[in-house]
Amino acid sequence: MIEPQAHPLTEAQSGLWYAQRLDPTNPLFNTGQSIELTGPLDRAAFAAAQAQAVTEADALALRLIDAPGGPMQVIDPAQRPVLDVIDLSREIDPLAAAQAEIARDMAAPIDPTRDKLAAERLFVLGRERHIWQQRIHHLAIDGYGMILLTQRVAELYNARRRGTEPGAPLPGLAAAFADDAAYRGSEKREKDGAYWRALFADAPEVASLAPGNPLSAPAFHRRAVEIDGAAFARLRAVAERMAIPWPDVVTALTAAYVGRHTGTPEVIVGVPFMARLGSAAARVPAMLMNVLPLRVDLTEGGDLGAYLGAVAKSLARTRRHGRYRSEQLRRDLKRVGGQRRLHGPLINLLPFDETPRFEGLTSRLEVLSTGPVEDITFTFRLHGSEGLRLEVDANPDLYAAEAVAAHAARLAHFIAAASAAENLDDVPTATPEEAQRHLYDLNATDHAVPDTTLAALIEAQMAATPQAPALHFAGEAMDYATLEARSRALAARLVAAGEGGIVAVALPRSIDLVVALVAVLRAGLAYLPLDLAQPDARLSRILASAQPRLTLARAEDAHRFKGEAEVLVPGEWPDVPVGHPLAGPAPADAAYVIYTSGSTGEPKGVVIDHRAIVNRLEWMRAQYGFTQADRILQKTPVTFDVSVWELFLPLMSGACLVIAPPEAHRDPLALARIIADEAITTAHFVPSMLAAFLAEPAAQGLSLARVFCSGEELPADLRDRFHRTLCAELHNLYGPTEAAVDVSYWPAGADDGSRPVPIGFPVWNTRLYVLDGRGRPQPPDVPGYLFLGGVQLARGYLGRDDLTEERFLPDPFRPGERIYATGDLALWRPDGAVVFLGRSDHQVKIRGLRIELGEIEAAAMESGLVRQAVILAREDRGVTHLVAYVVAEAGADLSALRAEIAARLPDYMVPAAIVALDEVPVNANGKLDRAALPAPDFASSGNRLPITPTERMLAGLFATELKLGAPVAAEDDFFALGGDSLSAVALLLRVREAFGSDPGLGALFAQPTVEGFARLLEAEAPAQDMGLAPLITLVEAASDLPPLFVIHPAGGISWCYGRLARTLSPHRTVHGLQAPALAPGVEPPENLETLAADYVERLRVLQPQGPYHLLGWSVGGILAQAMAVRLAGDGAQMGVVAMLDSYPCDVWRGEPDPGEDGALKALLAIAGHDPDRLPALALNRASVLAFLRASDSPLGQLPDAALDGVVRVVAGNNRLVRQHFHRRYEGPILHFHAALDHAGRDLSPMQWTPYAGSVEVIEVPSLHAHLTGPEAVQVIAPVLAGALAAVEAQERKSCVTAG
Amino acid sequence: MAIEPGDIRRILTPAAAPVTRETMRADIARMLHEDPEEIGGGDSLLDLGLDSMRAMNLVLKWSEGGLALDFATFAENPTLDGWWALVEARQRVGA
Repeated sequence: MIEPQAHPLTEAQSGLWYAQRLDPTNPLFNTGQSIELTGPLDRAAFAAAQAQAVTEADALALRLIDAPGGPMQVIDPAQRPVLDVIDLSREIDPLAAAQAEIARDMAAPIDPTRDKLAAERLFVLGRERHIWQQRIHHLAIDGYGMILLTQRVAELYNARRRGTEPGAPLPGLAAAFADDAAYRGSEKREKDGAYWRALFADAPEVASLAPGNPLSAPAFHRRAVEIDGAAFARLRAVAERMAIPWPDVVTALTAAYVGRHTGTPEVIVGVPFMARLGSAAARVPAMLMNVLPLRVDLTEGGDLGAYLGAVAKSLARTRRHGRYRSEQLRRDLKRVGGQRRLHGPLINLLPFDETPRFEGLTSRLEVLSTGPVEDITFTFRLHGSEGLRLEVDANPDLYAAEAVAAHAARLAHFIAAASAAENLDDVPTATPEEAQRHLYDLNATDHAVPDTTLAALIEAQMAATPQAPALHFAGEAMDYATLEARSRALAARLVAAGEGGIVAVALPRSIDLVVALVAVLRAGLAYLPLDLAQPDARLSRILASAQPRLTLARAEDAHRFKGEAEVLVPGEWPDVPVGHPLAGPAPADAAYVIYTSGSTGEPKGVVIDHRAIVNRLEWMRAQYGFTQADRILQKTPVTFDVSVWELFLPLMSGACLVIAPPEAHRDPLALARIIADEAITTAHFVPSMLAAFLAEPAAQGLSLARVFCSGEELPADLRDRFHRTLCAELHNLYGPTEAAVDVSYWPAGADDGSRPVPIGFPVWNTRLYVLDGRGRPQPPDVPGYLFLGGVQLARGYLGRDDLTEERFLPDPFRPGERIYATGDLALWRPDGAVVFLGRSDHQVKIRGLRIELGEIEAAAMESGLVRQAVILAREDRGVTHLVAYVVAEAGADLSALRAEIAARLPDYMVPAAIVALDEVPVNANGKLDRAALPAPDFASSGNRLPITPTERMLAGLFATELKLGAPVAAEDDFFALGGDSLSAVALLLRVREAFGSDPGLGALFAQPTVEGFARLLEAEAPAQDMGLAPLITLVEAASDLPPLFVIHPAGGISWCYGRLARTLSPHRTVHGLQAPALAPGVEPPENLETLAADYVERLRVLQPQGPYHLLGWSVGGILAQAMAVRLAGDGAQMGVVAMLDSYPCDVWRGEPDPGEDGALKALLAIAGHDPDRLPALALNRASVLAFLRASDSPLGQLPDAALDGVVRVVAGNNRLVRQHFHRRYEGPILHFHAALDHAGRDLSPMQWTPYAGSVEVIEVPSLHAHLTGPEAVQVIAPVLAGALAAVEAQERKSCVTAG
Repeated sequence: MAIEPGDIRRILTPAAAPVTRETMRADIARMLHEDPEEIGGGDSLLDLGLDSMRAMNLVLKWSEGGLALDFATFAENPTLDGWWALVEARQRVGA
């Protein structure tokens, strides 16, 4: 029942009501203030004045009712607050006690349907010292209402003290209700709404000063600073001259400040609007205020007067429609919820002193809360008559306290600087302190580096350690003395061809490659690396641009340079040095020229001199402490500048350079093997390749000294996965080819919690600048353009002075020096570390390789097949692809376009999809409308369904890896379906899991279709590779932990342990023993002992020394026990002997032989099916085999002969078990008991007691048949790993991390 | 009796020229970027483009000479005549 006087909430209250209902425990819905009164307070007069004012202010007596038809309110006199006088004068510190009590009160949320909306409290601190605290729910009052109420108390007090008549009482709430009702039904409201909807029809998304969800926290950070008095006076003079209100000037400047941080052409700020002027409710203490979204255009020139005038004008226009509620506008515009907000920061101007004057007292006001703080609020309060204070309140979920303090100081500085400027462009964003720190202090990297050359450094090392191993490649080694002799011999030959210039090197990774590069450097020439995988057209362009004197290439590749350059093949290189000592290069001479993708369609040659690269290498050697003991893996193609330190850092440090075979850099398994076998200490990965590497089982637990990442962003999750998988330091480096490999570094160790991972700090003699579009240094956390300076900068682009001038600019902060415009976006973190934020242009990186989309567009246009081409890197289904959108020339056949592009560009630049359009969609401004471009269709193009089991399995793997919704046809090409070399690596991992082997990446590139690759798999994998050999490897781990041997259950196949083997942590090698009788023509064993003896023999060949770890499921457990007896009898050291739910032969002997039916049932169980749940399935060989073929089981993929073998082995094992008699094994047995099975049967692990030293039972909540399934493995793997670790406790390396 | 900050200001600030109906009309017109003749005594200043920030700015300006003006009362009736009545009343009391 609702009281008759109940009123619906006003529009102004409604917004708050719902916000409060969504977040009922948030105390910030209470507004509040405290006033410290110093002097002889007339307490009686104060109490009377307060009581009178409260009686006049109806809002303080409101009670809210959550009625079914919507919230209502009544004026309930019982709700009026009564002044609570609290005497703290006897406290030790009365002020502190009062402040604590006030803080506690303000932090307590209230329920507006139950609690009083207002509290009035007077704290007595002493005879002449009081604090008056008011706390009123925002539903009842707004900031201006609070001032009215407070001023009224002062007026009544003063009148009482003076004996005069006070002014007119405060009007009642009825005026506000009436005014609200009148506006709601008015034509004015309609017009206002239309105005706002039109104004915001094309409004951009709102940007603010910090990312995150703007939902008020229960508290806020505050920092207050004083605006410089002289600056404030100047601003008022400007306002006076322009006849605009000075508060609007301050609002405009604050909006410009916001724009400096968002970097957007427009900002939308919130401006509180009192909604009282000219209203009958003007003097009613109530909640009336609105927040108006103000669109501020920042694109006009920086003339301050013009800008201020424009903002003041739009503020005035906006306020004319200010009664229209912003909550309503949000609903109108469907900007409700989440990030769909109407405005960013709030800018609140209070151009009057709110402090009430009490006769005979000094008062000091502190505003405690003005309501929820969703984002950040800049409040400017006038105090006295001349002072302006800035208060910055911010949501602690979005802003750290330090950031709030920084904004307060920075905005105060910005306003002060703007007050003296004619043009906004002259006003810096950063404070002078911030600029000094960012431009100079963080870049104080001066470090003495010998003025020498890379050639001289390598020569010194070669002379110092002639006998030490310099190179290692595919089993071949070369010492420093030999490298010295061979490189000197070749260098002399190169010098003989003439002075200076460039030598192209087009060799695959090999010892010859290193000899060639060192020789070119020693000859005082610059090397130009060429990638033979690139099409002839691109190589020709590079050669035409670089004009190398000679090309070093293999005889079999020489034809590719015919007519382009003179080729010197390794067979013609002299081995023995002759002639004079080499003069060698000077520090200012070019060391190498590397071509990168160019936006104009033409690759650009970056020229790096010795001084630059020496700085980079000397820094790295010192920073990471490289020594002769290091073994550095060279796996990066030499056309990518990361290869420069891989190649030469070892040669100048006396370390060993281990060269990975060609193509190995794309093969995680091959890399894992090299790293383990070659005891690599240092390797580099592009992050996307690192991700693929970490997914490789063989990489688990590998240990290196350090791994470097560069080339693309290092995701924080990848860093964390790295430290869970490998044992090594991880370092994130950053740099473009134009600045000698890397210019910044960040240790991304296991303790680094940075998100995102920074690119860090500058290396020696290097500078990083983050500047805005006008070249001003950015403050912390504000994105800008990254510029680089220092000794490592390239000379420029070979033969392209125009491009050089465009990107290499004069350093504005260090006269006479140069900076390079990277085109990357970055920011300075508060700690000074630089964070990379992406590209500012259309340059794209795919696996660390820089791609200018313009170069691909140019290649498409050159084909003559298209009139228009737009290339985009788009992300579909979580995969980034290059997609070409083209408008075909009349009559052109687009099917040739891909080949045309591939003939001009390297493979990684060939679009994954080509989409033909009738025309390129453009938006109203005539710009490309990216959103209107259709997603590429990677749908299947073939029409033959996969038939053979291998094809069907493979088609499924294609679809899974490429996240395809549609079925894959037999003719479908993995790459045409959207695959790239990275997803190919992932596919091969799946192939290896499913088929037990994989033919390698090269094979997939050669046969990328389902049918083709299936044919390869089948051809490569007769019985043995199908995984039916007596001894197979389930997991090959690069750790030195003793392997685990798992013995097949009844079916004779041990693939069923694959999951368990992969789940074991730390990873270790797991071998599976399988029944030899699986192969046709192999006689079944005579008895179980002969089989066990056979297995022991096989296992000892593979691993001559213990400890031997054995595990078996079912029959496999019986075999494991028998093997353990034999091994122990031979005196071998035993490790863990584990059984998955095996029982001694005694319990089976009495049961009838299950015969072929039993064997077929066992086969179904092995395949993961419960035979008892397949009553309709006829138990004969043909139908069971047909069923398995139709199901997903890998067993179904076996050739018929092998399936026959399985049935035979199952039957044979039944016989073996029944005939076997156990001997005693004196060691312990670890028994995993299928606790959910065997109801009503007399099966107990303890039945092993007569045959084992001890039996430890682990209960696994699983059926027998599911013991190698995912749930059971989650239980078994950790226990097993623990037992293995316990046995190996003495040998275990401390370094193996948990996976 | 203690001296209030407002009193200090009143003492220190040289007496400004008294506010008259015509100076008020000129100040309002300037703030609204209008000619003074356009401001009629009974015209709603809201309709002429006055907003709260401009109104406060004006009230602040007129109180610079030490006149104790209460913005809240100005907000109730924003017309030249209404405002002049408030200022005139204050000037009579304060003088």
